[in-house]
Amino acid sequence: MIELDPVIHAAARLRISATLASLDDGDRITFPRLQELLDMTAGNLSTHLRKLEDAEYVSVTKAHQGRTPVTFVTLTRRGRRAFEDYTDALRALLGGEK
Amino acid sequence: MMVNQTPADGDEPLPSPDAALALIRDQQRSVERNQLGGIPWVLVMWGIAWGVGFLALWSGYDGGNPWFQLPLAVAGAIFGAIFLAASIVSVIVISRLGRGVRVASGFGGTVFGISSSASFVAVYLIGVALARAGADGALISLYLPAGFGMTTGLLFLMGAALWRSVSQVVLGAIIMVTAVVAPFFGAPTNNVVMAVLGGGSFLIAAVAMQLGLKRGR
Repeated sequence: MIELDPVIHAAARLRISATLASLDDGDRITFPRLQELLDMTAGNLSTHLRKLEDAEYVSVTKAHQGRTPVTFVTLTRRGRRAFEDYTDALRALLGGEK
Repeated sequence: MMVNQTPADGDEPLPSPDAALALIRDQQRSVERNQLGGIPWVLVMWGIAWGVGFLALWSGYDGGNPWFQLPLAVAGAIFGAIFLAASIVSVIVISRLGRGVRVASGFGGTVFGISSSASFVAVYLIGVALARAGADGALISLYLPAGFGMTTGLLFLMGAALWRSVSQVVLGAIIMVTAVVAPFFGAPTNNVVMAVLGGGSFLIAAVAMQLGLKRGR
């Protein structure tokens, strides 16, 4: 029986993972830009990022650009692997594999 | 199947594998459209620059445009201004493509950026050397468009290799062929070849890319 990763298998977190996975490995995106690409509220994005962060699928880091604090988000290696396993599992399910 | 996704929540499990795959595809297309949406306009700008710029040069040389002629200085100024404008638009649009993203390894992009500018300066300097060695105006007017065209084509091929883009391979190859074929027509007809074949290729590439982004190829 193929099981889908419950951390990713929710609409908001799947969209976040898909967006982060479209960046190159190790690339970091700012929180506001990620929010813009997802069209999500800041609060909702933060909530889902925390769940992904708890599973160690994303890493959230804070830095400074001049005096402005900037929050960067990136998919961890574990998160990228989990997203790839998840899409493989979806294809396997659609292909009728057990 | 419709995915019931609301920006305020989205914590519910997805109804089916189909819905999940569709959501991934739609989201990645939306990101691609958002990030690359400006590129077709850059290609349009270069299509216009090549078309108008090289036709202006063609109209500036004796034996060129049979319908009207421009003083060579005016033709050169039009060419320079329109290429400068296209370069500025390109830099602005391309610098906004990756806004908000800090790349892990910027090596490829940096090498590409620096070698682009350096190779155009190199083509110009070789032209200066040829002129100093006695090459006349007609010869230089064959060499410079071919040299710049060849460099542009190579840069598209380099970009295609860096960003794994097949459409850039096609455009780069056409631009290189244009640059190589044009001097065989002699001066000043080489400018018409650059305008029509080169400029036209940019415009066709712009339309193709716009359609591709819309369809989410």
